Amino acid sequence: MLANTTSRGNQVSENGPSGPVLSTSPLSHPTSFAVNARGLRKVFAGGKGSTQALAGVDLQVPTGSAFGLVGPNGAGKTTFIKILLGISAPTAGEVTLLGSAPTDPNVRRRVGYLPERLELPASFTAAAFLKSIARFKAVPWSDTQGQALLERVGLSSVGNKRIGAFSKGMRQRVGLAGALLGQPDLLVLDEPTDGIDPLGRIEVRQVLAQEKARGATLLLNSHLLAETERVCDWVAVLNKGQVVRQGSLESLTVTRNHWRARFKTTPVQEAALHALGWVKTTLDGFRIEAASETMLNTMIDDARRTGALLVELHPEADDLEAVFQRAVEA
Amino acid sequence: MIRPVLAVMIDLWREALSRKWFLGLGLALTAGLFIFGFSLQLDVVDGALAGSKLFGRILTSSDDTLHAADSVLGAVFQALSYTLFFGGTLFLCVACADFGPALLKPGRIEHLLALPVQRWQLLFGTYLGVINLTTVFMLYAAVGSTLILGLKSGVWTWGLITGSAVAWLGFAAVYAAMLTTAVWVRSAALSAAVGIAVLLAGTIATHRAEISVAINAGFWRQTFLGLTTVVPPLGKLPEIAAQASVGHAVQPGGLVRLVAGCLAFAGALLAMGTARFEGKDY
Repeated sequence: MLANTTSRGNQVSENGPSGPVLSTSPLSHPTSFAVNARGLRKVFAGGKGSTQALAGVDLQVPTGSAFGLVGPNGAGKTTFIKILLGISAPTAGEVTLLGSAPTDPNVRRRVGYLPERLELPASFTAAAFLKSIARFKAVPWSDTQGQALLERVGLSSVGNKRIGAFSKGMRQRVGLAGALLGQPDLLVLDEPTDGIDPLGRIEVRQVLAQEKARGATLLLNSHLLAETERVCDWVAVLNKGQVVRQGSLESLTVTRNHWRARFKTTPVQEAALHALGWVKTTLDGFRIEAASETMLNTMIDDARRTGALLVELHPEADDLEAVFQRAVEA
Repeated sequence: MIRPVLAVMIDLWREALSRKWFLGLGLALTAGLFIFGFSLQLDVVDGALAGSKLFGRILTSSDDTLHAADSVLGAVFQALSYTLFFGGTLFLCVACADFGPALLKPGRIEHLLALPVQRWQLLFGTYLGVINLTTVFMLYAAVGSTLILGLKSGVWTWGLITGSAVAWLGFAAVYAAMLTTAVWVRSAALSAAVGIAVLLAGTIATHRAEISVAINAGFWRQTFLGLTTVVPPLGKLPEIAAQASVGHAVQPGGLVRLVAGCLAFAGALLAMGTARFEGKDY
């Protein structure tokens, strides 16, 4: 299969409050932000001195995006989310949630939240828990609606069982169902697949994809980079309380001007490719640097003239793990 | 504004009814009422008590004379009033100690605070939920006892119910201290300990004038008097409840002062708790 060889024209910004611009993405010029944080600082004062959890975070989550927040332990991700939702107060800076202050109950009605370590009342059934959230959010409730929600998260058969008897993964699913209740405009999920088995994770991904398709904005905090990469189209890397990388996933993971190709070659053709500047990386894999699309096409034409058969071509891309590692180590 | 408070109260009720403490309390009260109802035999002749039996034993006075039913029952009512106040408050201090800490549990409080509910509504809803819950149990015990004694003796009085309402006021003050403590330190044990301590302090404050005589005049006496001024004289509540239960006139001025004192104490503590809760990070 031949991969897409069109230029993506990415422009990546680092630490920039203006955010990245990506010409091929529908969100390339986001006009509105579901979350807009500027200069957020949080200092925890303790007996042994103070700890700075956030050191001036500027972060914008475009409306309608699936935004992944990644970072090492202690980077300030959960603190950021808590400030975002008005659970903690910032030491300095400001944040708006769907255009209003996080403490505004009308805004909170439009937000679904799954905390990192959700503690559910053990005496409640899953259905009763959802009904309780519906009461708080003033969302019309029907048992059918509750059952449908539980079905979405794979718990339809245990809706009337007490949460106290649930496994960690099941509790997480109940929490997710609670976050989905009322079709929120913004879903803030802190480690949503924590404790969920691999099949369950696929189901959760499907649910999140459905929510994104509905038009909801997703803000996902996860230490599972592969999971984030699968779900999110925008990512911010947080390290030591600062955003060290922010942009669309596409823009962050593509290394421009470098391409990888696979050729079917004979030893003679392989030597010819080498002479043309193709660097062998694996058994049939080659790497080349091309400054433009025209140059790339010329190089491919030259390579094919040697008799080598092009099987695959794609831009050289880092996965999120590599981006994360570079960003954190920088 | 009321809706979130009601939502908190409903959740608290659901949680309470699944707890063994309250299931046990309901069963114990029911069993107590049944035992009391079946074991107490009263023979009333024209308003005078001919004889009464409790657990098969004939209860007579020293001179074997007949007594008016309402006067004899007065003692029973008074005993019940004290039992309801001290027994009920002590039990509830332990049984309700965990509601505040459970609400503030990490993982739960974050979830609640992200919902469209304000912090004061969470605290106030919890407080009202507990008060509401205890009212139901107190009324159950008071109405049950009134019915049993009324049916057995033909003497009908609102006394026990009025008495239990007065006693309930004491718990309202005590629980405010318990909930406020939980906002500072999320511990059910400490919350219960503070509740019991307030009850004791309130009982001591009731007799502060008499006790202060035993303390050396000067700094320590003034300190004692100062400290006991802060706490409402909770010990007066069962006295008033007992008086009300036997139909004795209660001085309205004293009762109003006591009620106002208890409400002010509870209100001040809740205001402190709310202020702390509003400014706290989770």
